[in-house]
Amino acid sequence: MTKVEAIIQVSKLDAVKDALHEIGVEGMTVFEARGHGRQKGHTEFYRGREYTVDLIPKVKLEMVLADDMVEKVVQAIVASARTGKIGDGKIFLSRIDEAIRIRNEERGDTAL
Amino acid sequence: MSTVATARSELRDLYARESARIQQEFSATGEGSIALARRTAVVESILRRLWSEFISADPEGPGNFALVATGGFGRGWLFPHSDIDLLFLHGGSGTESGFKDSIRRFSQELWDLRLKLSPAARTLAECERFDPNNVEFAISLLDCRYLAGDRELFLRLRETVVPRLVMRECQNLIQNLGEITRGRHHKFGDTVFHLEPNVKDGPGGLRDYNVAHWLALISAMEKLRVWPDPKALLPASSRRPLEAALNFQMSVRCFLHFRHGRHDNTLTWEAQDEAAVRRIGAADAEIANAADWMRVYFGHARAVHRVCAQLLEEIPAAWSSLYRQFQSWRSRVSSPDFSVVDGLIFLQQPSALQDPEMLLRLFHFMAQHGLKLSTTTEYKIEQVLPALAATPPRGAELWLYLQETLIEPHAADALRAMNALRLLPLLLPELKGIEALVVRDFYHRFTVDEHSFLAIEHLHRLKESKSEWEQRFAELQGELEQPELLYLALLLHDSGKAVPSENHVGLSLKLTDRSADRLDLDPADRETLRFLVGNHLEMSVAMRRDVFDPANVRSFAEKAGTPERLKMLCLLTYADVKAVNPEALTPWKADNLWQLYIASDNYLSRSADERVHTDDNSAVAVAVLAHLHSLAPVAGKKINHFLEGLPQRYLRIHGASDVLVHAEMAAQLGNNSVQLGLKQVRQWYELTLITMDRPFLFASVSGALAAWGMNIVKANAFSNRAGIVVDTFYFTDRFRTLELNIPEWERLKQGIAAAVSGKADIARMLQERLRSEKTNGTKVKVATQIEFDDACSAHSTLLQVLTQDRPGLLYRMCSQVSKHGCNIEIALIETEGQMAIDVLYLTSGGTKLSSDRQAALTKALHEDLDL
Repeated sequence: MTKVEAIIQVSKLDAVKDALHEIGVEGMTVFEARGHGRQKGHTEFYRGREYTVDLIPKVKLEMVLADDMVEKVVQAIVASARTGKIGDGKIFLSRIDEAIRIRNEERGDTAL
Repeated sequence: MSTVATARSELRDLYARESARIQQEFSATGEGSIALARRTAVVESILRRLWSEFISADPEGPGNFALVATGGFGRGWLFPHSDIDLLFLHGGSGTESGFKDSIRRFSQELWDLRLKLSPAARTLAECERFDPNNVEFAISLLDCRYLAGDRELFLRLRETVVPRLVMRECQNLIQNLGEITRGRHHKFGDTVFHLEPNVKDGPGGLRDYNVAHWLALISAMEKLRVWPDPKALLPASSRRPLEAALNFQMSVRCFLHFRHGRHDNTLTWEAQDEAAVRRIGAADAEIANAADWMRVYFGHARAVHRVCAQLLEEIPAAWSSLYRQFQSWRSRVSSPDFSVVDGLIFLQQPSALQDPEMLLRLFHFMAQHGLKLSTTTEYKIEQVLPALAATPPRGAELWLYLQETLIEPHAADALRAMNALRLLPLLLPELKGIEALVVRDFYHRFTVDEHSFLAIEHLHRLKESKSEWEQRFAELQGELEQPELLYLALLLHDSGKAVPSENHVGLSLKLTDRSADRLDLDPADRETLRFLVGNHLEMSVAMRRDVFDPANVRSFAEKAGTPERLKMLCLLTYADVKAVNPEALTPWKADNLWQLYIASDNYLSRSADERVHTDDNSAVAVAVLAHLHSLAPVAGKKINHFLEGLPQRYLRIHGASDVLVHAEMAAQLGNNSVQLGLKQVRQWYELTLITMDRPFLFASVSGALAAWGMNIVKANAFSNRAGIVVDTFYFTDRFRTLELNIPEWERLKQGIAAAVSGKADIARMLQERLRSEKTNGTKVKVATQIEFDDACSAHSTLLQVLTQDRPGLLYRMCSQVSKHGCNIEIALIETEGQMAIDVLYLTSGGTKLSSDRQAALTKALHEDLDL
């Protein structure tokens, strides 16, 4: 099992969700996030006051998948979240030892 | 099998058999109160058998030790999966050690039967001691009931100990009960109207019924010094609705326990569907679906909550001096129409309520002072409603009172009270469809009407906010020109949800139109209201995109059109999102909302000079021209000529009727080269000047107005391709010159005309005015900030000046601009509190300003404006 964490632009959330649903991914957790990589902050002046946003609003998606789904999911996210500009986001993959469904204590892929 | 094992097995069988029978009966009848009484009796019989087995063969023995039912069990309300509250009562410490082992075995047997026991062991003396950390125990004694053992001991508890405890600790009990209840209500957002309510602990639930009962009981016992008659405890006018509510809620909670197979009191959507089909607790009501059944639920919950809230307000401690002082302070707000006693409003002359105006004044009074209606006042209102329904107030009179109510700090509470009494849907029938309406989605937590009231409440509460990010929005709220329209929009924005559809906005707009007719709103106000309701989701949509993307900002800002509408839409979105559920407006979302707002506001200031071309295909031009031509078909050419080259911002600021008037004034320039219009609009005066452009024009008019003692709070200046300027000045009359002297209107216009023609010495006039005025110390010092922007316009250089507002400021600033050879193409002048925010689009010789000219102008402005 693999955990996929994708940090994407807020505006791409609906497109990514749709793309994932299309390939059969039903469950995911979505977090409101802030951050920046190479993309720098943004400054706006309003009535003489400076409002600087160092950390740009982003959305983080998290899901744990059976290994045979991982590449398909990565491709779906990349295709639907890409604009080609700095700030499109990142995807992180990490190994997961076990998953347990709390309701009936199912384990492994069937618990996903 | 041993005798003991057989007895256990028998008890288990008995309990299982009886429980199944009770459930079956409930399935057939849906009568909760009967199920509770039966289950209470079954458990009592089991307890008595165990008592005789483990404690004493004599049901009334042993001496000095008794078994007492307390809490819900004491009331005889044993729900299918409720805990069983038991008190092992000892006469003194002697019996405690003697029966310790027996009590353990007694309890063990109950747990083995899977009965959830909540036991307490106390001596009589301990029962009389008040423990502030365990108020619940003292309260549970108010429902004590004898089960087995020493009856005399129990009677000492009930007849002596409990009354003594209550009389001594009355104030503590009521205060603690109030605090616990308010804390519980707060946990549920202080509202009855949850989409998935908790029928026990939620506001208006069974716990509130008990709280009302306990408050009344404690208060009566303190006065009578004995146990009062339980049937006469609650206010007579409320007894019948409370009785009905209690029966309904008992059935619902019973249904939930059986349905969920555990102690779960949440009325989930699935449970609502099933309850509606089975008509739980509402056999006689007309129920077509779950929404109908939930309306019955909310009706009962509202009745319980109302009485509970009233008693919490009335009873708390008439003994607290601080409380008395507070109440006495509140009583001072009494008026010739209304008296205030203990925070409740009474009518000085109940018969006066026949007059609808008095009724509207009553709710305005409530919204103003944050008071509640007394039961008798509510009763009187209910009595006059049928007569009022025949000819409900409408038109300007209704709007006058409604708007005054909406802008008061406690407007949401007044609206809730109007809704609960069915007055609000009578005045605005467009809201009928969303009354207590459950619309299921994963985000909303409250019914549609409550969501709207909550949104209004959140907006009012902004003023009290201490958080940095909320204060930004509070600042905007303080600047609104017509806050009443925003509140009305919040009231109506989801009215279209009354009919299930993919998009409720269309129906909300139709209902808004009907309300606007009913209130006889003037065309400009109606347009603003329609804009807010029709676009109430637009800012949320734009927030789901990149809030820093210029295309997104441009598209959203153009929908908003003007800074004032943008401000209103931003606050509407803030309140709308915040009222979805307590966690909906995260700091993340609030910050995105703010960023989108300031980016859009900046966009509107920096894109003001995009021109109207009557032959282009831009959406704004096409729509506005079509509308104007439909209003004045014969003036088509004249309008086109007038509009050609005016900035699009002009069309966003001025409505169609203004544009037609301006075009007509422009057509009259041949007869009189200075066309002036002066009128009073809301809190200020509006002066419109149409003439041919010339240097120092804007400065001269600003100076003339200042010399007359007028305070310019807003101004716009635009010019078309033919060089005709349309300047509008909005000012307040500091010395009430115009208000008190009608002939001065004409004299002011003449003075302005003289200034425009260069016949008046503005500098001297202004100097005389300033000399005669005492300078008032300013509360807040605003440092002057000057900024040029060459990038935002294709033809002009934008100058933004932020500085301390003061008499004659605009004249001084514009004079400097003109002295430096600059032409004002567009002026957007605003004042927020002590700060003047002036944006000028400048050209020099028809092009942008050179950097040298910008530097020279900056220096001159600083020298002239710095404090």
